[in-house]
Amino acid sequence: MLKYLLKRLFWMVPLLIGISLVSFLIIHLAPGDITTTEAGFDPKSSEESRQKLRELYNLDKPVVVQYGLWLERMAKLDFGTSFASHQRPVFWRTTDQDGNVTTGMIEEALPITLLINILSLALIILVALPLGVISAVTQNRLPDRTITLFVFIGFAVPGFWLALLLMYWTGVLHDWLPISGLHSQGAEHMNWFLYSWDTLKHLALPVFISALGGLAGISLFVRNGMLDVLHQDYITTARAKGLPENTVVYGHALRNALLPLITILGLSIPGLIGGSVISESIFAIPGMGKTFYDAVLMRDFPVIMGILTIGSALTLLGNLLADLAYAWADPRVRRGAMQ
Amino acid sequence: MRHDGSRYAHHGSFILNSRFVIILALTGTLLACGNPPSTRIVDYDREYPPENGGTMIDATRGEPSGLITMIAGEAAASAVAQNIFSSLLRYDKNLEFEGELAESWEVSPDQRVITFKLKPGLKWADGQPLTSADVLFTWKLITDDKTRTPYGSDYKLVIQAETPDARTFRVRYAEPYAPAINSWAGLDILPKHLLEGKDINNTAFARNPVGSHYYKLDKWRPGEQISLVRNPLSTQGPAHIERLVSRFIPDEASQFLELMARNIDTMALSPVQYARIFPARPELHRQFSLYKELGNSYTYLGFNLKRKPFNDIRVRKAINYAIDKQELIDGVLLGMGEPVASPYKPGTRWSNPNLRPYSYDPQKARHLLHEAGFRDTNGDGILERNGKPLTFEILTNQNKQREMSAVLIQRRLKEVGIDVKIRVLEWASFIGRFIKTGDFDLVLLGWQLAIDPDQYAIWHSSQQAPGQFNFIGYKNQRVDKLLERGRMELDPDKRMKIYHEFANILLEDSPIVYLFAGYGLQAMHKRVKGIDDPAPPAGIGHNSQDWYIPRPLRRTEISQ
Repeated sequence: MLKYLLKRLFWMVPLLIGISLVSFLIIHLAPGDITTTEAGFDPKSSEESRQKLRELYNLDKPVVVQYGLWLERMAKLDFGTSFASHQRPVFWRTTDQDGNVTTGMIEEALPITLLINILSLALIILVALPLGVISAVTQNRLPDRTITLFVFIGFAVPGFWLALLLMYWTGVLHDWLPISGLHSQGAEHMNWFLYSWDTLKHLALPVFISALGGLAGISLFVRNGMLDVLHQDYITTARAKGLPENTVVYGHALRNALLPLITILGLSIPGLIGGSVISESIFAIPGMGKTFYDAVLMRDFPVIMGILTIGSALTLLGNLLADLAYAWADPRVRRGAMQ
Repeated sequence: MRHDGSRYAHHGSFILNSRFVIILALTGTLLACGNPPSTRIVDYDREYPPENGGTMIDATRGEPSGLITMIAGEAAASAVAQNIFSSLLRYDKNLEFEGELAESWEVSPDQRVITFKLKPGLKWADGQPLTSADVLFTWKLITDDKTRTPYGSDYKLVIQAETPDARTFRVRYAEPYAPAINSWAGLDILPKHLLEGKDINNTAFARNPVGSHYYKLDKWRPGEQISLVRNPLSTQGPAHIERLVSRFIPDEASQFLELMARNIDTMALSPVQYARIFPARPELHRQFSLYKELGNSYTYLGFNLKRKPFNDIRVRKAINYAIDKQELIDGVLLGMGEPVASPYKPGTRWSNPNLRPYSYDPQKARHLLHEAGFRDTNGDGILERNGKPLTFEILTNQNKQREMSAVLIQRRLKEVGIDVKIRVLEWASFIGRFIKTGDFDLVLLGWQLAIDPDQYAIWHSSQQAPGQFNFIGYKNQRVDKLLERGRMELDPDKRMKIYHEFANILLEDSPIVYLFAGYGLQAMHKRVKGIDDPAPPAGIGHNSQDWYIPRPLRRTEISQ
């Protein structure tokens, strides 16, 4: 088992280098760099100073050389500093000789994105599981049809449109929920309880909107898994020996139907760090999606590469975790992997 | 109407009450203003005498990357930094120079030396004296090769800078340079005692600055908001409003919802919000005033003068006559803009009042094209010359107003027999792939309606290298001469004549088609008093230090 794990981890290194090389090349294929986006069209700025900036950022060197420099830094786990954000560290905070702390961009954006995504994933599972089970048990009857219809409507409705309507309804027409942002004015004077309550109220709509789209996938997944299992012989056996229907469905069928869900959850780990640009813009939430989008528009290469690298590393890790969890849950897979 | 208003106010205070009870019950925190009587009707139109205090909340679409504007040059940064840092000079309400840190300034008879005399007793927000040494330090910073700024070129023309005493700062230029005055109105003076020996490119000062203007930084919540608090040591005297909060809300629609919910006091409106949504909602008018300012930029259609047939002035003029500018203003800006005939703000001294935009005259356009040798020989509705159809591409970036303008122009040009395609691109690709390489027919873009008249970088024939700003390839010896003379002339009246003539030739030559200058549209909650209406040429913000929020109109705030 340990050998298998080490082998998998070892192969992640060349894979990561390959991914980063391809991303680096693709980014540099796009026309323009930081000197075209930042003050690139201000007549008060001069071409000489822009050339000077290009030299300072090594943008005048061939792409391969630039990639080498980047890889060299990454080998020391140094994500570098942003071009567009006054040399802020891309990943984690730095402290200068006077003790002034400059926080990293990913450090600031990641926690809030993680919080929203984890809450929304929890909400999805919490709602999708019962919906899926009910759908399966009442297959092709009214409850099943209704649930399927509604999760598909949730999937199909444009999130930004619904978000704006809900903001108007809960924030302007009624004073139920805040409209945008993360904290109210004066939040710094609140005690921890009010502060958390205030934050939760700000997160309610963003989490709801982001969960709504994911509901369809997971609930149909659970429904189909359940349907497969419910037609197995051992369920028939369980019913035949006179077990109550609830024990059959929840005690025997559901546990086996949930196995494939592990894969889905493992694969959603990298998704946890990616935010939605549209939702973050509308709700004015400073998360990963907006950070990445702005970096791409500004051609802020260190930030783009930093986020892509962390994202791909997490994708690979997520795959590994999914495989491991699957092996842990299903003895058949475990035996196969060991051989 | 009156009844409706009272119901509205009642509803608002009921919510305040329930919130008050929850807060009181849970924590014992107190609302600063106490509990307003639930039957009170707040009359925002009533006049009150000026008083200090209160909070004004606005919304910006972007977050500053830092507050040192020589490095963070974006609009979001300067919007905040202008409340924190002072320059030697500034523009008054009519866009004329006046002293900010400088008490007076003097240009030597040979126009090569400018001497600034600082006001007495200036202090930084941390209590340290602000002297000419700080000005010299800032000049050294922006001209230092290690400083990552694109804005150094104006200041590098200074061949000698000196500080004869603590209140005098003197700069010498190799030859007279008129834009110099403007450059000293644009340079935020930085504190030497906090920045000396530091690396300006990554100093923590950029996110925790100490300045000398009306406000100082209170708290910067990254990604959320910046709040500023009144600086009691301000070099410009005290402001009335105690606290300015700028919330970062990237989406225009969300900003408007926040405005409707009265969570923000002011925002820049789009023409649709100003001319359609506001008139349809009387309840918004009860609480908000609308202001219309002269725009800061104009939109134009620029010809690639190095390409045929745009090197032919008749073709350029024909296209100019074929475009209905009023139609663009009505359709794209919903009337919230005006045509321009020179690259200067209408109504300011640099704008030549005798110039008129090209009228909409398709007949004249057809005639000019005919004269230039274009005929519709094969009857497909598109003109040809030497068998080649008159067809080209308008290039623009992702900007709704520009995209809509391009579509309207496309239709008008079709009517005179010109076939136009439109291509819309993301900004960095647009600049990197097409503008720098000069690979375009027509561009639909905008330039600033600059306050300083010098436009050497945009129109002088020497400024055509890749990455420079005369990318349309304009070349006119008379204009070159005028631009050179204008840079050497520091006397405002003589300068004015030079630029009036320059604008005249530019209009006649038609290297670009001036399309429109949109107004700046601002909504402001009526609790903020003391705003000039109508807005002077400098916009309503010119006297923001005199704005005040009377106590009865303030928002309920949580304190302690």
